[in-house]
Amino acid sequence: MSTLSVLFDASHVLASQRWDEFLQQTINGLTLGSVYALIALGYSMVYGVLKLLNFAHGDVYMVGAFIGFGMIQWLGFRGAGDTWAPVVSTWFVLLVVLAVSMAGTAGLGVAIERFAYRPLRDAPRIAPLISALGVSFFIAYSMQLMFGSQQRDYNAFGIDNGKLFLDGVDIGNVRVPLLRIIIIVSAFVLMLLLWLLVTRTRTGKAMRATSFDREAAAMMGIDIDRVIVFTFVLGSALAGPAGVMFALRAPASVTMGFVAGLKGFTAAVIGGIGSIPGAMGGGLILGMAEAYTQGYISSKWSDLFVFVILIGFMLFRPQGLFGKADIRKV
Amino acid sequence: MSDDRLDPYDSGSLSAPLPGAAEAAAAEGATSPAVGRDEWVARHGANLAGRGGIVGTIQARLASVPWWAWLAVLVAIVALIPVGFESGYVRRVAFDTLIYMLLALGLNVVVGWGGLLDLGYIAFYGIGAYAYAMLSSSHFDVHLPSLVSIPLIVALGAVVGLLIGLPSWRLSGDYLAIVTLFFFQLFITITTNGDDVFGIDLTGGSNGISGVAASVDPLSFFGWELPQLTDAGAFNVAYIYVALVVFVIVFVALRFVNLSRTGRAWRSLREDPLAAEMMGMPINWLKLMAFSFGAAVAALTGTIFASLNAGVFPNTFQFPLLITVYAMVILGGAGSMGGVVLGAIIVNVLLEVLREPGDARYVFYVVVLAGLVAVLRFSVRLVVVLGGTILLGFAVHVITSVVSDRAVAGSPAGGGFLTGAVDRWVVLPDSLGAWAPISYVALVAAVLLLTTISGWWRIAALVPTLYLGAFVWENVMLAKPEPTRYILLGAILVTLMVARPAGILGERRVEIV
Amino acid sequence: MRRRWLAVTALVAIVVAALASTAGAGSSATASSQALSCKSTMKVAFLTPLTGDAGFLGNEQLSWAKYAVKTLQKQYGLKIQLLAGDTQLSADLASSLAQKYIADPKVVGVLGPSTSGAVQATSQALFRAGLAHVSPSATRTALTKGNEKQATPAFFRVVPDDDIQGPADALYMVDKLKVKKVVVVDSQEPYSVGLANSIERTLKAKGITTQRESVNVNTSDFSPIVTKVPGDADIVFFGTQQPPKAQTFAQQLLEQGKKAKLFSGDGANDPDKFKVPGSYVSNFAAPINLFPYNKNIIAGWQKDNPNATLGSFGPPTYGSVQVLFNAIKRACDAGNGTIKNRRDVIKQVKKISVKNWILGGSFRFSTKTNDPLNGRFYIFQIQSNGSYKLVDPTIGS
Repeated sequence: MSTLSVLFDASHVLASQRWDEFLQQTINGLTLGSVYALIALGYSMVYGVLKLLNFAHGDVYMVGAFIGFGMIQWLGFRGAGDTWAPVVSTWFVLLVVLAVSMAGTAGLGVAIERFAYRPLRDAPRIAPLISALGVSFFIAYSMQLMFGSQQRDYNAFGIDNGKLFLDGVDIGNVRVPLLRIIIIVSAFVLMLLLWLLVTRTRTGKAMRATSFDREAAAMMGIDIDRVIVFTFVLGSALAGPAGVMFALRAPASVTMGFVAGLKGFTAAVIGGIGSIPGAMGGGLILGMAEAYTQGYISSKWSDLFVFVILIGFMLFRPQGLFGKADIRKV
Repeated sequence: MSDDRLDPYDSGSLSAPLPGAAEAAAAEGATSPAVGRDEWVARHGANLAGRGGIVGTIQARLASVPWWAWLAVLVAIVALIPVGFESGYVRRVAFDTLIYMLLALGLNVVVGWGGLLDLGYIAFYGIGAYAYAMLSSSHFDVHLPSLVSIPLIVALGAVVGLLIGLPSWRLSGDYLAIVTLFFFQLFITITTNGDDVFGIDLTGGSNGISGVAASVDPLSFFGWELPQLTDAGAFNVAYIYVALVVFVIVFVALRFVNLSRTGRAWRSLREDPLAAEMMGMPINWLKLMAFSFGAAVAALTGTIFASLNAGVFPNTFQFPLLITVYAMVILGGAGSMGGVVLGAIIVNVLLEVLREPGDARYVFYVVVLAGLVAVLRFSVRLVVVLGGTILLGFAVHVITSVVSDRAVAGSPAGGGFLTGAVDRWVVLPDSLGAWAPISYVALVAAVLLLTTISGWWRIAALVPTLYLGAFVWENVMLAKPEPTRYILLGAILVTLMVARPAGILGERRVEIV
Repeated sequence: MRRRWLAVTALVAIVVAALASTAGAGSSATASSQALSCKSTMKVAFLTPLTGDAGFLGNEQLSWAKYAVKTLQKQYGLKIQLLAGDTQLSADLASSLAQKYIADPKVVGVLGPSTSGAVQATSQALFRAGLAHVSPSATRTALTKGNEKQATPAFFRVVPDDDIQGPADALYMVDKLKVKKVVVVDSQEPYSVGLANSIERTLKAKGITTQRESVNVNTSDFSPIVTKVPGDADIVFFGTQQPPKAQTFAQQLLEQGKKAKLFSGDGANDPDKFKVPGSYVSNFAAPINLFPYNKNIIAGWQKDNPNATLGSFGPPTYGSVQVLFNAIKRACDAGNGTIKNRRDVIKQVKKISVKNWILGGSFRFSTKTNDPLNGRFYIFQIQSNGSYKLVDPTIGS
């Protein structure tokens, strides 16, 4: 072959390699971002209704991951090379695990609201924030007290000999594994359901009214307590599946809540805290930003870049991408 | 309030009750805030109606002691600790407490006086420590004497505080908290990974700057060096005195700042930022100054800390430390200098005591008893609760020991004279297994439930809850004192915020919306 | 008014409780010179991270330490109480705790500190106070070797240091696996960074192409890094201390269709948690259940810790206790039933020898440094049934 054609072939390979890498990183980013988006939604909704940054939300997510782990243990999948043979039951099991963790975290969220935030509804703004910090600490270390600091591995790879990881859809040269598709799709479905709930139902309307102006909504006959509880239920119910989805792919530990909460929080802020489409968009953007900075700039300093981006946002566009500038009515 | 007495703006006559006021106030009764009622008027009745009798006299006498007398007493106690205790450990704990007191004072400026939620405060502490390690060590081969590096670092802290406070110009409460939190994360990332910044070893990375290679200098004043350890390896007492002197200086300085115009401006900023702005106060500058002062105090503390430890490690300056200092400030009462100092002492001593299961046990039972007395006073109900719990305990213990030998085969952790009583009263299985998480969750649920019911139902529910609490404490929490410490910190923060946001010595604030 | 009253009461209560607790701890600064009868209960302190990012390490070690103290004291005819101090991975806390144990005259030896940073911070104080400290896991080479040793002559360790593991692994990759391209990943904490640096150095010296990556210590989803692994890389080295993370990394390599196999250090050695076939693990010992004389020890430990699995941090802790007790016993014998000065224990530590060492073979200290004699690393490959097969016992300096 002539040198020209060899060079052409080489550059073609390189270009397609680069394209493959880009595609793969995008998928990585979407997977990460879906989880962040679910967490961010919880933050955003609670902030919208209560103007409270719920620092304990990350730990609720962690509890969700542990509930999922407990379920999988209890259902008999010990992870030591066990496989569940028929594929049907795998889906079913996953669904059940998601549902149970949803219920569990929703309950936890309601309890937190009832005991740590409701008494502080009329207190100075700083009080529920500090209470949230306390709750976050309390939950994280209570989990450590009860379950120890070892990492918990779902060992989803053991299901059907790794079917969830190795089979999938091919886009060009890149294979998108089944599990990632499940995660991204379920996250989207959940977010879609949430969006429908908030925009099309009466309770959703009540939520939006309360976040706009709590006193006026109360005077219009909306039961504020109910709405707030409902918001917490929704937000925390999303954190549970997020935890399960994360833990299906990477080990869970009692310290994962803090970092994940921070990331979800960043996502909510980037998208515009208080805005639901903002949280979704912010989550995906953050996930992709993380994947791209790790992939293309430097894996060591990717955190730094993300934080700098965030601080930049806060300084120049604090309302985020989709939020509205905060006008205080005196 | 006693703090008013210390404000020179208030002349003596205003603080003494007018004749006949006590009767009038008693007739009016203590009032609580409500919609449509002026706050000062509402609190006035309670202010004037102190407590009568001996207790009231003692309280009045205590309240009339001037602040510098309290400070002198504290200084005397701390200065005498090394004399009374030869143990290097006790001295080291005293030093650590002084450090925490300083940190709490600094945070008090930002949170208590400025009303700003600064979640990046520990980063300033870290900056001070790292700066000292860089300026007085062989890391970059710069060996500035302490008398030069320390003021330099304080100034550096103030400048960085100013810079980080700049976002507060445009942002309010929550957003500021977010920015400071992210600044903190940035600091952690840089210090942990800073061993290869374009090829330069800046911060020593995850190993920090320490050890023989870096050779961080001990403090030296006028050429006189203070070694960190004695020949027997014990902690050098001189560092306590240095920290004490610094503490006194900072305390007095902050006292004067608080009494100045700036202090009053901060108070009005905290009470109602909007009104303060409308009154023409430069609230943005005030916020920056609060940040700056807090940061300077933290940086100063960092230098002493770095010199004693002969190094800095990134692991020290992390989130748990932030929560600890916050717990101290909140417990003591944000806004009150004496309060946060007290909070620092209580929290740090508590945390140290909790390391040993035997000692932790004392504290637990003392605190529970004190709590019961505080809530129930000396009344029939108290007797019922205590008696009921003790009886229930013995009954359960006897029954379970009859049913199963293994259920009482364990022994109490640690030592101390309470173990005998505890062994006979609390059910101590030799291994709990899955019952540990279950009983813990049951305890938390029970305690939360208690807050929702009232009356005799509450008394009835209190008895088994107390016993369950003792059970969980002995079996689960004492077995692992380490997470227990942080659980208690978290619980302190939440309960304080819900039940008594003013802490011990703080002022009750009512947000006027 | 009421506040002040509450404040004073609170302060008094706390001070009383604290004084009651320190009454036992406070003693003369000449604690080291008090003679101790070997028939009395002596204490051994353990400095290890029990909460925080490294909590899993400390807790595993503590469970083995407790078991070892319980069973070995009868064997050596001693009465020892174990004190555990949580350093939370923070060196200044380690210094505070060291002060606590120095001040206690009944403490005759220290187990740990488990982390190299804590050793560096406390060795000076412990040495001056005459306390021997035997660590099961502080592997930073500079602690005992080099021109400026960061630890003191009172510091001993029972596992080989990082500069043995790094070259051992790297040379195996070069000589036996014939690698051309290696990706080296660290997780931004001292152990993995030290190991990664060591491996990268050795590989570069041999002319192998290396690519260096770094992940946050809290990360457990490594997909972006895995994507960066070139398709023709042979090995990815990831020195993590958490076996589930090694497992995840190896699985993600498979997921993204990379040819590279994962190679991890002793921190990931856990046949229950890390078992992706084809991966490599290096460890300072063979799995302890391969040695028949360990059967009773393992069974006894598992009875005390029903839900726990055998990790790689625990057994060296057992070994450290054995070394320390051995030294204490020798000091007792040399002093005719009393330990006149706890410094005597330090003198005895290097002289000990242990047959049926829990990590295999017998144990002595090297004559030149306070490291194990002939410390070496073993390299295992994970088989398709998840078991670890020893593939290299010969290379190791």
